[in-house]
Amino acid sequence: MVKKGDMFYAWTTDAEMAKRAECGGAVTQLLKFALESKAVDAVLAVKKGADLYDAVPAVITDPKELDQTAGSLHCGTMLLSKYVKKYLDGANNYRIAMTVKGCDMMGLYELAKRQQVNLDNILMIGVNCGGSVSPIVARKMIAEKFGVDPDKVHKEEIDKGQFIIEYEGGHKGISIDELEEQGYGRRTNCRRCKLKVTRQADLACGNWGVIGEKAGKATFIEVCSEKGANLLKAATDAGMIKTEAPIPKGVEIRAKVEGAMYKLADKWRKHDFEELGTGQARLKKIVADTSRCIKCYACIEQCPICYCVECSTKKPYLVEPGTLPVNFMFHLIRFAHIADSCVNCGQCEENCPMEIPNSLFMHAQQVELEKMFGHVPGIDMSLPLLALVEEREERDRLAATGSDQIFDIFR
Amino acid sequence: MTSKPSVPSLKYVQTTCPYCGVGCTLNLVVKDGKLTGVEPYRRSPINEGKLCPKGMTCWEFVHSPDRLTKPLIKKNGTFEEASWDEALDLVAKKLKETCDKHGPKSLGFQVSCRTPNEECYIMQKLARVAFKTNNVDNCARICHGPSVAGLSLSFGSGAATNPFEDVLHSDLILLWGSNAVEAHPLAGRRIAQAKQKGIPIICLDPRYTPTARLADTWIRFNPSTHIALANSIMYWIIKEGKHDKEFIEKRTKGFEDLKKMVEKYAEVENITGVPTEKVKEIASRYAAAKNAVIVYCLGITELTTGTDNVRSLGNLSMLCGNIGRPGVGVNPLRGQNNVQGACDMGAYPNVYSGYQKCELPEMREKMEKAWGMPAGSLPEWYGSTLTEQISQCGDPIKAMYIFALNPVVSYPDSNHVKRSLEKLDFLVVQDIFWTETCEYADVVLPGASFAEKDGTFTSGERRINRVRKAVNPPGDAKEDWEIFVLLAKKLGLKGFDFKSPQEIWDDMRKVTPSMFGATNIRIDRPESVHWPCPTEDHPGTPILHREKFSSADGLGTFFGIEYRPPAEVADAEYPFTLMTGRLIFHYHTRTQTGRAAILNYEVPEAFVQINTDDAGRLKIANGERIKLQSRRGETTPIARVTDEVAPGVLYMAMHFPDGANNLTNTALDPMSKMPELKHCAVKVEKIAGGN
Repeated sequence: MVKKGDMFYAWTTDAEMAKRAECGGAVTQLLKFALESKAVDAVLAVKKGADLYDAVPAVITDPKELDQTAGSLHCGTMLLSKYVKKYLDGANNYRIAMTVKGCDMMGLYELAKRQQVNLDNILMIGVNCGGSVSPIVARKMIAEKFGVDPDKVHKEEIDKGQFIIEYEGGHKGISIDELEEQGYGRRTNCRRCKLKVTRQADLACGNWGVIGEKAGKATFIEVCSEKGANLLKAATDAGMIKTEAPIPKGVEIRAKVEGAMYKLADKWRKHDFEELGTGQARLKKIVADTSRCIKCYACIEQCPICYCVECSTKKPYLVEPGTLPVNFMFHLIRFAHIADSCVNCGQCEENCPMEIPNSLFMHAQQVELEKMFGHVPGIDMSLPLLALVEEREERDRLAATGSDQIFDIFR
Repeated sequence: MTSKPSVPSLKYVQTTCPYCGVGCTLNLVVKDGKLTGVEPYRRSPINEGKLCPKGMTCWEFVHSPDRLTKPLIKKNGTFEEASWDEALDLVAKKLKETCDKHGPKSLGFQVSCRTPNEECYIMQKLARVAFKTNNVDNCARICHGPSVAGLSLSFGSGAATNPFEDVLHSDLILLWGSNAVEAHPLAGRRIAQAKQKGIPIICLDPRYTPTARLADTWIRFNPSTHIALANSIMYWIIKEGKHDKEFIEKRTKGFEDLKKMVEKYAEVENITGVPTEKVKEIASRYAAAKNAVIVYCLGITELTTGTDNVRSLGNLSMLCGNIGRPGVGVNPLRGQNNVQGACDMGAYPNVYSGYQKCELPEMREKMEKAWGMPAGSLPEWYGSTLTEQISQCGDPIKAMYIFALNPVVSYPDSNHVKRSLEKLDFLVVQDIFWTETCEYADVVLPGASFAEKDGTFTSGERRINRVRKAVNPPGDAKEDWEIFVLLAKKLGLKGFDFKSPQEIWDDMRKVTPSMFGATNIRIDRPESVHWPCPTEDHPGTPILHREKFSSADGLGTFFGIEYRPPAEVADAEYPFTLMTGRLIFHYHTRTQTGRAAILNYEVPEAFVQINTDDAGRLKIANGERIKLQSRRGETTPIARVTDEVAPGVLYMAMHFPDGANNLTNTALDPMSKMPELKHCAVKVEKIAGGN
């Protein structure tokens, strides 16, 4: 019997796969099993593109192709949740198994609340994430701080507070703290992130807490849902996965790592939010920085909260079309519509061509709203504040007008 | 069988944006064989996944129902669909007949800077091999022709000296006539990053542009008075003894000419409108910066003094030793995705690929050998340039081949262009959409968009970026390189038996020393290479002129340059000065951006910026449609009343048909043949019945 809350060390029984994958290959094997057993129609995972700094999403229907997705890529900074909505019909027409980082998972919940993805058809295999590094930042960091040609590196990992690389002729680790103090390291939203273990996915997998003789050869799996329990049980019954109880000391270590990550995240939150100032000073900074906006709409395109076909930023009576600098209303609309639900995935900032720290601005507001109203986005299906405040009225209006624009608060 | 939809086939195809010369990489999302979106390519060293409004939407036009899908032949005044065989037979026959009867100068070949290197190369090769003509040019002529000419004279190479990102190593950025935030947004991003790093930015521009807003010092000067302003800056640097004497001594010549010339330019406020104190301030800041970079654009080039303006910037940079290391240099921001490459490929009336001069017998001999031609068959004469070819329509040019250009909208004086094209006996237009120019064609050939073919674009930083095929061209449309291969076969040419763009690239590489090391494998990497890259183990050259200049004697050259006013200045009859430019939301004649929903929503029609005082005096309200008239034509844009332009100055973007180019002047820069697109005299009228 496997049930929610159970913890295991797990590994594949396929020796070849174990060699190619990391930590015993349990995640790759579970995805393969889900596909082979027709529990899902497709797997959405990430594979290596031009090199190990290049993560590419892959939709796989042939189990043989799953090998391409084995291993982890810390430079994979894309958000898979919006991909499901945009290119996989929101998983409304087929069942998908996907690997999710914390932000992918939170994005899926937010899209599901807005009926943009169908969680019933999504099997979420969560992976621990201590944060990701933008590819070009990683290459610069390796060249400038490690003194190594980034093209010569064949493996990178984040372990025990260090960014570690293996390259032709050696390996080297530098403390993340040191790197980040100097402007390298993880994306700034990742530094502030406090969703490191994906307990709201179906399974939460990772290498934290795997000690003893299984160290490096098994994956730590925490069962988080009935769906996850069934998958793990079926894969075990089919002889594809082997499990054993985790060493108690390992469970402790896992909790410790997680705790240390939260501490670090708190440190960065304090640092980033304090730097923003308060009150008028904060507003002034936000107005100044957003004045660089060139209206590429990438923040909206990539945001896991945004989905409206009729976007308020594209209403001429709210934001005058065709002029730069863009009226501040553009950003006010974003703040008003998103801030209560922001999951701090960082996409709006990472993809901003004018280096506007959008994610910081939005996250800073989200944490304040969370303090005030207690709403935590991204971890379950509870509706955001605005939806609660205006639900009845809005539903009537939607029914009456046939509009799909939920938060029509500016009329 | 179930009726459930099956899982789509989805893939990302990394390619290079089809718009400006920054060369951003992006992912085209292909779903079941059709484009369905653009996603960031974060691994790109150029833009790190970030895109501008145009890049974000660049997939939208590809599957437009308006695409040309069949060859068209004009018969009895109407266009009829034809087979490729029929169309190409006709093209081959007409071009051959014309050349046989009237000689090689009776043909004109116009190559678009929108098209990949491989296609630029094969078209110029075809013109030269089949018809022994040098009448082949590309539209760099009307954007950065003066940069090629001016920087070649000053430094020995006509390209940008340093990469975009290199501004981050600078101690002072001087932006002159560049609205990078709008025209080259991801180069503009580097400026924004520089500002965040605390690097001071001086922006010289007659308009208060979004880029000027980013700068910490904005200097407004009277349109087209660059040389007077530059000379004055240099006068004060020399006067205060702040020039780099060692650099001048060791690495340059001609300093005395410059020194003598600038002595006349101590006070220039009456010309430039810039108070002497301000000039002195710029001079002292530029001279004091350890590393200062000049970034410029069409504000410098699109004038009858274009080449001299560029050389003035060359003078200024050398005066303070700002060449040949990180954080310095003189960088033109190239306009189109492949404007650098089209020139590099020899789609130019006086050079072969890699700027090997046609006038040199040894170069002609080398190309004749490589291309399998009899000795002495390639012409030495300087061919006609882009707008010269238009003026020569009828005499001596009888037949013209226009590849992916829309002269009726984009060249100066649209009425003149239309009248000229009518004089041709035979016109071929090869494009992806029906353009205003197609009306004048005898044969229209349907080509492929950037998403439908392989190849390379060379960006403004001389980086050779890969273009990758994501989907097939629509209907019977063909990849353009293949059209030239087929045409070459019809013409019975040898040396055109290419099976892929990669083979064309290799054909080019073999005859081009500066790009020989840029193999297909190397340019397939995200970093690719910056030319010059002479050997396969050469790392490429992000920064030019490090030890010595690229000129024959290795020295940079100063030129004493006199200020000249534009060809047509405001007068009593035409009291306003019209400047032209580009918007962030559109690209050239909008055949592509006009078909992206959001871009068309942002700016669906032409507008003119007019100063608040002028508008008040003429009782013109913001949003009112008004009439502008020049000696050549008229247009009726919407007025945007603003203080972004000075009194007496108007600004229009060039994107709209029967717009700015109905007014512009064809007068040419004598050195580069650049028409004066950025300066002409107009009058403004309210439209009767207007509010």
